[in-house]
Amino acid sequence: MTTTETRTDELLIAHLLRRAGFGGTADELRKYSQFDYEDAVDQFLNAIDSTALPQDLIRRYHIDQSDLRTRGSSAGNWLYQMVTTDAPFIEKMNLFWHRVFATGQTKLIQGKAMSTHLDMLRANGLGKFDNLLLALSKDPAMILWLDNQDNHKDSINENYGREILELFSMGVGNYTEEDIKECSRAFTGWTVANTDYMALKMRNNTMRPYGYVNWQFKFDPDDHDDGEKTFLGESGNFNGEDIIAIICKNPATAGFIARHLYHYFVADELPVPQWSHFPPLNPKAIEVMTHAYFESGHSIKAMLRALFLSDSFKSPSAWNARVKSPIELVAGTVRLAGGYDYPTSDVYSHIAASGYMGQDIYAPPSVEGWMGGADWISTGSMVMRINFAGEIVGNLESKGVKEMVSTIRLAAGNFPTPDSLVNASLASLGSLQVGDDTFNGLKDYVNNVIPSPSPNVKYEGTSNIPDEAIASLLQLIVATREYQFV
Amino acid sequence: MTIQTKNKLNYVDTIGFGADVGGRGFHIPVDLSIRPDGRIFAVNRSPMHRLGIRVGICDVHHGWYHEFGSDGTGDGQFVSPTAITHGPDDRVYIADEELNRITVYTPDGEFIAKWGEPGSDPGQISGPASLKFTLNGDLLLVDHLNNRIQRLTPNGDYISHFGFAGTGEGEFNLPWGIDTDVNDNIYVADWRNDRIQRFANDGTFIDQYGTSGREQGQLDRPSDVAVDQDGFIYVADWGNQRVQMFDSNWNFQQSVRGAATVSPWAQEYMNANADEAEARTRFDSFIEVDATEPHEISSRVESYLWDPTAIEIDPEGRLIITDSLRHRLQVYQRSNE
Repeated sequence: MTTTETRTDELLIAHLLRRAGFGGTADELRKYSQFDYEDAVDQFLNAIDSTALPQDLIRRYHIDQSDLRTRGSSAGNWLYQMVTTDAPFIEKMNLFWHRVFATGQTKLIQGKAMSTHLDMLRANGLGKFDNLLLALSKDPAMILWLDNQDNHKDSINENYGREILELFSMGVGNYTEEDIKECSRAFTGWTVANTDYMALKMRNNTMRPYGYVNWQFKFDPDDHDDGEKTFLGESGNFNGEDIIAIICKNPATAGFIARHLYHYFVADELPVPQWSHFPPLNPKAIEVMTHAYFESGHSIKAMLRALFLSDSFKSPSAWNARVKSPIELVAGTVRLAGGYDYPTSDVYSHIAASGYMGQDIYAPPSVEGWMGGADWISTGSMVMRINFAGEIVGNLESKGVKEMVSTIRLAAGNFPTPDSLVNASLASLGSLQVGDDTFNGLKDYVNNVIPSPSPNVKYEGTSNIPDEAIASLLQLIVATREYQFV
Repeated sequence: MTIQTKNKLNYVDTIGFGADVGGRGFHIPVDLSIRPDGRIFAVNRSPMHRLGIRVGICDVHHGWYHEFGSDGTGDGQFVSPTAITHGPDDRVYIADEELNRITVYTPDGEFIAKWGEPGSDPGQISGPASLKFTLNGDLLLVDHLNNRIQRLTPNGDYISHFGFAGTGEGEFNLPWGIDTDVNDNIYVADWRNDRIQRFANDGTFIDQYGTSGREQGQLDRPSDVAVDQDGFIYVADWGNQRVQMFDSNWNFQQSVRGAATVSPWAQEYMNANADEAEARTRFDSFIEVDATEPHEISSRVESYLWDPTAIEIDPEGRLIITDSLRHRLQVYQRSNE
């Protein structure tokens, strides 16, 4: 392999780690750059977490993350996973599904249900789509989010029956109103244990007398309509499992999920409600993924592997072309700066910062999730983004930032130039690529601020450059336009 | 002729209910101390509902006396309280692991003094996790981030310490609760080593008990230990969400998972909220859970203990358990059958 190809693979791997993870730390980039791109994709997709901060430690010091009553507690607990895992792709996929299957603590009240919902996504999010859809249909958070506890044998509530088709699998235009009713009939009796009391406690929003009781799926055969149904042209005494099997073998499902994946991992699509009126941005990419879906027996991971190996994903025109979501910016920046090595109350201010930037985890604005794209950027959110990232990478009290500064010194060499310092700093921030104007601006900053504080003082090596000067360069980089993209 | 007796831990009662903005009740009680007159002082951690941070005083007959303390760094306040105990002089001592300080109160909760300096030198503290007075009036402080037990005067002056980080005899991995027996031997819940260690009063290692696991007699992150007048040892087996009882030779006797009922305070709440009372008539606390992890099971079964953080023996020999995430105390008593 030539040097140029090696560099291209490294940049491509950095792109993969940004899109499919939270941005590569220096260690992660080194680890995955040992492989050629295809092997790196496989390694990244199949990574198993071995470093997430143990839950017993978290629960001892943050006892609120043991009962997970509040949204700050449940969302903070998820942030720990995002920041400390060495399998970030899993958490990125959980965020993807959280956007598609948008459930919110705003209605559900108890964070433990959201956390259980997340566990369900973690267990099923990369496997066979049929299994994920079945687990979703039995997930207590989803049942109460879409009122399936009110979907009865003799009086259906079609809320879940409609959304599983419209938002979670096929998309508008691929089924009829009659299909929605028949689908809803099949999910009658899918509820939670102690239905009445649990639903009332959620509505009343009270933790008395003894705190929230976490919900559990219950199938009530007496409330299930086991009569004959006709759904998408097939007839039988269908239950929920049968409906899901019919949904998952339909080509519209593969296309809809593929479009979602493209929307999230490659380029911003139109808002979901418009999908039935406009074709996908990249029909070829959708075709590659739908093929993988059926070839693999409906595997989500196979779809993603096909996507990550496709030209549409690998093309440099796709790199740094999507605006980072607030949680990507928060988790990614904290990871780059060393993450959390022990429970810390910082996790609460960090998850709150994501909310101030426009993304309250576990509180999507609607059942359609977050719009994303350019919507993430406003005057206010931009200030929040820059201030947050600047505060994190400028904190020289942090062990991780100190290590970044040391790494930059080493990489910049004994006789640093503005070019080598800027390049080393960009590398430490996930091999960030910047335009010429930005690069020259950063060099100007180095020339003006770092070379010497007075005419009589000359820095002969990076060891003489104050930590604060390197940290300020990092702060300037995270304030650039380029750092806002993924 | 030897008569074989079986020691049994029987459920007696449930005290309290959730009150996250103060007033009668508890919100995440993490430790308790019992006066000789039987009054129970429970300290509430309440991290996300700061009005709930306080000490509540009650008794086993559901009497409610008053509360004191609040969130803050001023005199008499605390931020992250972990432990409470009574001194021989009836003063109340409360540890705060975030402020690294001990605050001393009158029996009525009036501020007297505060002391504590963060650090790892002798006398300095890092993460005070539990407090216990010895028979001669020294204060044992579980200095958990320094992995040691410090012996101090009631005024916080350093006397001695034992223990350091590790897994061997006399070593600790983030220790938590502490108790003494009638002979003034010291018992420490060595939390992340999944064991209880027993020491002579001078800190000399005597023995240890515990293997990691979920089987009867095994431990998973024990958070506290209590010893009754007859030498029976009770362990708050936090990770397994249960309390286990052993005899003085560590022979396993019984484990309890919790059996809470509706307390009188909870019943008053129900009486005032007819819709909830009505729905609760169809509520089954003991559903069959389709999970295996104890913490998850406890989250779904209201009567079970959920994070039983601290345990104490009252003057009548009753075992009082802080059922932290259910905002109540569960009461048990040992019997011979």
